[in-house]
Amino acid sequence: MSAAALRLRRFARLDLGDYPADAVWSADGGALLVAGGQGAMLWVDTRAAAIGVQQFGAHAGGALAVTWQGGGRQFASSGQDGEVRLWDASSREPKLIHAGAEWSEQLAFASHGRLLAVGTGRALQIFDSGGGLREQLPPQPSVIAALAWRPKASELATLGSGGARVHRLEPQLQSSEYPWQGACLTASWSPDGRLLASGMQDGSVHYWNMRAGTQSQMRGYGTKVTLTSWSANSRLLATAADQQIIIWDFSGRGPEGSEPLLLSAHTARVTQLAFQPQGPLLAAGARDQRVTLWRLAQPQQPIDADLLSDEVALLRWSNDGLQLAVADRGGGLSLYALR
Amino acid sequence: MRKRIPVTVLTGFLGSGKTTLLNRILSEQHGKRIAVIENEFGEVAVDHELVIGAQEELFETANGCICCTVRGDLIRVLNQLRKRRDRFDYILIETTGLADPGPVAQTFFVDEDLREDFQLDAIVALVDAAHISGQLHSVAAAAEQIGFADVLLLNKTDLVSEADLARTERELRAINGTACIVRTRNAQLPLAQVLDLGAFDLERALAKDGEFLQAQRPFEWAGSYALAAGRYGVHTGATRHSAHDDSVPDHAHDHDHEHGHDSAGTLSEVGVVVLAASAAGPAGIEALLESASERFAQPGVALRAANGSGGAQLLPGRHFRLQLAAHADFSMEIPHAGAWVVFCEHAPAEFGWTLLGAKPAAEREFGSHHHEIEITSIGIEDQRPLNPDKVNDWLSYLLQSRGQDILRMKGVLNFRGEARRYVFHGVHMNFDGQLERPWGTSERRNRLVFIGRKLDRAELEAGFESCVA
Repeated sequence: MSAAALRLRRFARLDLGDYPADAVWSADGGALLVAGGQGAMLWVDTRAAAIGVQQFGAHAGGALAVTWQGGGRQFASSGQDGEVRLWDASSREPKLIHAGAEWSEQLAFASHGRLLAVGTGRALQIFDSGGGLREQLPPQPSVIAALAWRPKASELATLGSGGARVHRLEPQLQSSEYPWQGACLTASWSPDGRLLASGMQDGSVHYWNMRAGTQSQMRGYGTKVTLTSWSANSRLLATAADQQIIIWDFSGRGPEGSEPLLLSAHTARVTQLAFQPQGPLLAAGARDQRVTLWRLAQPQQPIDADLLSDEVALLRWSNDGLQLAVADRGGGLSLYALR
Repeated sequence: MRKRIPVTVLTGFLGSGKTTLLNRILSEQHGKRIAVIENEFGEVAVDHELVIGAQEELFETANGCICCTVRGDLIRVLNQLRKRRDRFDYILIETTGLADPGPVAQTFFVDEDLREDFQLDAIVALVDAAHISGQLHSVAAAAEQIGFADVLLLNKTDLVSEADLARTERELRAINGTACIVRTRNAQLPLAQVLDLGAFDLERALAKDGEFLQAQRPFEWAGSYALAAGRYGVHTGATRHSAHDDSVPDHAHDHDHEHGHDSAGTLSEVGVVVLAASAAGPAGIEALLESASERFAQPGVALRAANGSGGAQLLPGRHFRLQLAAHADFSMEIPHAGAWVVFCEHAPAEFGWTLLGAKPAAEREFGSHHHEIEITSIGIEDQRPLNPDKVNDWLSYLLQSRGQDILRMKGVLNFRGEARRYVFHGVHMNFDGQLERPWGTSERRNRLVFIGRKLDRAELEAGFESCVA
């Protein structure tokens, strides 16, 4: 199969009956889990003969986030009910691991699946894979706007107003500060674990080179930057500003002083942007109700696109990069296979 | 485009009645499903499904510009709430007592996500009628909250005399000339005065009249006297502060002068007019007020105190500028007995005005002048058509040079050759403007209001003048 011939093949179009607040693929790509903005916890078995949406639980007031245990059979969810639950994927039975008044908006399993990070306002908790509280860290200096585990490591980055912190959990807890004035909104580790990038409220992208101990930023975005995604080879960082997708090349001497690659196909604000895991493709979704698929070797136009019935709210690749789930604001879910 | 969800921001100090009002709004049958974001964890019915607590968090920018500072907590919470938009149709944000409303308002201008889904409806400030005067002198945030507001709810009016209420309203009016002032007790008021006001909606807000400053009068005080014919001595005493629109003490200074005026400045002159009244008491003042304000809008003739006995003569029917000195005495010639009204540019206490042998039978204050509160409103009204390019230049310059000091601005402009009104509003450096309804048969008239810190009327008027086509 030649990569140039890749196309999106939609194999299911479903109605979630809820606003898609968050979603995640199971580790094996056999199921998609959706957290509903109105509270429904939804399960989509993508290998069933007749693919349907099945509600298996709810977070009163609205679900906030879901994360799947790397390589495992568990997932975690949080909601506006102040709860964090750890679920067994087979039985879909939950275990309540945290309850409070504040929302736990940040939720992430480490890639090795042994640690689960929960960010609740300024509070940061680390649970083990059995749901036991492993660490309750001191309150962070600002609300945790984003968190991300360093790939293949037990190091967690938390970002917010005033910069980043990296918490090394093993062998013992050690936190390091990476101050930067401004409000960080996203957290993206390059897959090689070398670079940590963050989109900023003030219309810039900041990054730290964790190996070299350096930092820098790309400015000039007209809007806040809420989308950052690394290519599988850690070479390219995709970002977006309004209708335009902006790609920075980190090979060689890095993005400093270089002109970024601009991808222009969307006619309304880009809301979702994600590089294909283990592949060269980039998928984007926008308020123009379109999802586009790009090969950066041919940046003039997308290699494929699809029109949904509402603005794109979520876009998620399966871990193998061969399936793509796209949900719109109206609750429509489209599932694609790449071929 | 989806309908945007209106957001009302409720500001006010602790004890001003925010919690009472919130509880009332939540319990009343108004058919609205209201979500409340609370920064102050008070006694609001927290078991209410849609009350969400959030810690105030300012998102500052690397360049430190206050005009770009937004509220991270609101962005986060509203981003989640918009995902369950079918569950509510109105948002109320209760800020902490000392919160600066600027970043709250800016959040709705600056943040793309919120701008697309939410519409700032109005900023409502709850004011404790008994305590606001003191707060205005002691806490900088009080004047900011008043200055930013679209609605001032003067609460606890049952605890204050009518005279004090009137004086408090004048103080509020001097800071914010456009806000709607609503008197309440125990936060009892029709919700239509708080919700769905459309104060930030260009199509709605500026279409209404009365949103703008009332005419600025040349006088701040009038006194009615019953006088016999003859010559009266006029004494002016120790002066206490400087001329009208300037004299802005800094913050540090404020605290030293909680209840006094700035002692550094002195009034060098004061405008005075004496007129025969058709009726005694308040009715006489009322009858003369409009015509006198119009007739004597321009500065009068300088009148210097004479050195000899008798002093310079203050004749009825003429506008004088009394030149004040340490003990400047004048005389006033009253040709016939009856009711007489004296109009003064400043209140008598401010320049030690005494009409020897007579006391006013009635007094009235119009504007007010909290000379030590640095936030004021300045309005401009003018009929001449403007050049849109020049307006653009002026407003851009103004926002860049004075954006930090301008809390709010709004206006309706008459562009030469344009059938439609140009309407605009702004918060600090954030600005929205567009062409709206046609003028039709209504009078084409520019009306602008600026509310801000250390505003310079002459500078604003000169800027406006530069835009006349």
